[in-house]
Amino acid sequence: MVERWRPDKGKVEDLTKEFLAESQEGLERMELCLTELEKRPDDAELVAEVYRAVHTIKGTTGFLGFGRLERLSHAGESLLGALRDGKLAVTARQVDGLLQLMDGLRSILLLIESRGTEGQRSTDDDRALIELLAELKLEVGETSASPPPATQNQDAYQPVSSPDACVPVPLTALSMQDKTLRINVEVLNRLMNLVGDLVLTRNQILRCTPDAQNFPALARRLDSVTAELRESVMRARMQPVGHLFRKFPRMVRDLAKTCGRQIRIEFEGQETGLDKSLLEAVRDPLTHAVRNAADHGIEPPEERVKAGKPVEGLVRLRALHQSGSVIIEVIDDGAGISTSRVLAKAMELDLVTPEQAASMSQREALQLIFVAGFSTAIQVTNISGRGMGMDVVRSNVEKVGGSVEVESRVGVGTTVRMRVPLTLAIIPALVVESGGECFALPQNALVELVYVPRRDVEQAVERMGTTKFYRLREGLLPLVWLDRLLGIEQNQSAEQQDLYIAVVESEGRRFGLVVDGLKAPEEIVVKPLSAELREIGVFSGAAVLGDGTLALILDVAATGARAGMRPAEEAGNIAGVQLAPPDTPRIELESSMVIYETGKHGPVKDRNLEQRAMPLSAVERIESVPLSAIEYAGGRPVLQYRGELIPLEDEGEVLSERIPHVGTATDHVANHDGETATVLICLRPEAQRTRRVGLVVRSVLDVSAGTLLAANATVCDEQLALVKERVTTLHRGFAQQADGPLNAVLREVA
Amino acid sequence: MKEALHSRTDAGEPLTLCSLRVGDGLYGIDTRLIREVLGTVTPRHVPLAPMYIAGVVPYHGEVLTTVCFRALLGLQLRVGANCVVVFDDERNEQRFGLIVDGVGGVIAVQSTALEANSSGLDPRSMELFDGSYKLPSGLLVRLDPRKLRPSHLAGCGLFATLRQERQGVQECGR
Repeated sequence: MVERWRPDKGKVEDLTKEFLAESQEGLERMELCLTELEKRPDDAELVAEVYRAVHTIKGTTGFLGFGRLERLSHAGESLLGALRDGKLAVTARQVDGLLQLMDGLRSILLLIESRGTEGQRSTDDDRALIELLAELKLEVGETSASPPPATQNQDAYQPVSSPDACVPVPLTALSMQDKTLRINVEVLNRLMNLVGDLVLTRNQILRCTPDAQNFPALARRLDSVTAELRESVMRARMQPVGHLFRKFPRMVRDLAKTCGRQIRIEFEGQETGLDKSLLEAVRDPLTHAVRNAADHGIEPPEERVKAGKPVEGLVRLRALHQSGSVIIEVIDDGAGISTSRVLAKAMELDLVTPEQAASMSQREALQLIFVAGFSTAIQVTNISGRGMGMDVVRSNVEKVGGSVEVESRVGVGTTVRMRVPLTLAIIPALVVESGGECFALPQNALVELVYVPRRDVEQAVERMGTTKFYRLREGLLPLVWLDRLLGIEQNQSAEQQDLYIAVVESEGRRFGLVVDGLKAPEEIVVKPLSAELREIGVFSGAAVLGDGTLALILDVAATGARAGMRPAEEAGNIAGVQLAPPDTPRIELESSMVIYETGKHGPVKDRNLEQRAMPLSAVERIESVPLSAIEYAGGRPVLQYRGELIPLEDEGEVLSERIPHVGTATDHVANHDGETATVLICLRPEAQRTRRVGLVVRSVLDVSAGTLLAANATVCDEQLALVKERVTTLHRGFAQQADGPLNAVLREVA
Repeated sequence: MKEALHSRTDAGEPLTLCSLRVGDGLYGIDTRLIREVLGTVTPRHVPLAPMYIAGVVPYHGEVLTTVCFRALLGLQLRVGANCVVVFDDERNEQRFGLIVDGVGGVIAVQSTALEANSSGLDPRSMELFDGSYKLPSGLLVRLDPRKLRPSHLAGCGLFATLRQERQGVQECGR
């Protein structure tokens, strides 16, 4: 008897893990193809893709000794082979059967992963499914896979009799795939090179003394390598949100079938990158939100027809980057949420008093659906709106430092918007001081900084009731003293101090956070706080600063809420505190410009200083760069900035004035050690992508709005504005963008 | 697992306690329940936290919440550096530090010699103390770290209303 060759146990375990990850990926593709196949039953490529997925599973199972999986995949492969060869036409029944096959394969894979075996219980029997697949193979394809028209399938619209009818697809079951990440070898090579650089730099630093001549250069090199390494690791961890989205067509299809709806799902921004761990963290909340949209948001076809809407409802998933965060929206064109019914339910549950309910805005009322237990009660009483799980959605998103909000209009639809940070690990922050303690303010919430000298405080700060305001350009900015809010004792009264106002904005709340002082901006590594400290609500974590001390990271939205700040659209309704005209809700931000000074060629340099401006929204950061860090390529200045080589624009010839002679690279470093140049790191939208450029300026003067001057070619062929009574040239590079930010500014200012 | 060990020692095995000094009192905690003792550390104050939370300290790349034992006992707070005794739970999910004035030597006791809390104790002390041993120098009060966890303190409701002057007198570390 010939004994079958078996590889050693360790190798089999490794192969099994690899097989599980690959198979689950294959099943994901299969799921996507099958839901597409229902719409396009004649697409041979889709059939071929499904065939390949099942064939690959079957091919490996025999080798690994998974007989049950082999038998089931063989039955599926036979049916798919017939479909691929054109012997059978794709029908709805066959797609259903293949989806069952996929579920069967997935459940066996999960058993293998959790127990190491395929399962031998009676419930693990696949005979019925294998028989079904064999039966389907004998069928002659007559009917189309497309769902029959609504009028021919009235039974499907009957109310779901069993609460279990809308059983969610177990999307969270793909654990092996969740634990693994495919990385391009190129990326790994790049990381390895950077680690090599890091080791080299470390060795050089270890060998030299702090007063060595090359120590500053080595420190800069270390800084640059670390930044590059960090950037590369973060990029390696980034995964397109589309990975998450592709699970939903099947779920929506099944829900639509069981709940008697017709639903189309659309995606936007699938390529948006998000940290792998965050992608996993938003999987469940997103599933809840999509399920709710399909289950409760979209109306039954007859109701949609009555409302004059298309029979087919739409659920759209949209992802985009926005100021250091990723926004994921679940938008439906369903019935919307009735705030009056939400409030009635909230009063019934004693969550709010009738007086509170009467004073609540629509936005506040809608947020009640996130209260635990609230939504379930709504569902039981059949009030139209979101079903169970919205509290889970919020708590899960908040766990990863995100936030969630809902917008809804009755009869029009609902949008659930989740905002999650790009990464959990490292964020840029401004360290501020208040009451002798340091706090980190995330840069993505920071709009601008305002300094008011002590002598001007009395005039600059205005009082309305118990709230103090600072007049910032177009409107009044409510002020919140951080030390008072946090109950930190102060030795000096606020009136005796200079005012440092950090203008912050988060979740529609914009206010000025008054602190005692500003420290350096830092990239901080976020560390979570214990549950008891998270409960305080105003701190999203802690970070060890460069000097080794700990700083608490402020949750700007929660800080605003604690201080009683209301979102802008509601604050606008408060008499006398209108931050912006109601018809131009974003005018204040859009019209802000960074004003800077630069110099041009002329007989006397200092008399040729020119005030210039560019949109604040285009400026990512303002950096003080050592002149020795500025290098030249092809005669043009460049800067290695956070792992990226960015071109520098020396429009006012600031660099050529300070570096009149460019000698060897060593001379350059030696001659300009210690001197710095101010560089605006700007984002310039180009045809395909946004390009980062550095603008070298003499100094940054202010952030302000201005009045656009009519074009006058006899004076100047550039666009001019009057800012604080000084003629200001608008930066040509940004003014030329047809839909760029500056044009928005120009329109608003004009 | 550690808690299982703790209950086994109650059956009468010899026990080693790490002695802790807070104010005039001497306290002891089973050495096996201690993860680490940090030297003098100044916790970073967390505004709006309950009074018994001394603050947070950096700890092996994490941020460790610390409980001030003085605050729990109603004593005046010390300004400046303190000793931090670090505890883990079974699943390392509720790691925390206990701030004490000083950490002394290890004392061996017979677990059977443990005297139960007197009924005359106030409710807070009753909650915090886990009995006492009579030593030649006086009483050594046994502490159970599980009862000192921030989550337990928040849940028992006895310490939520604790009010004290933050500006305590400076005492010399002993």
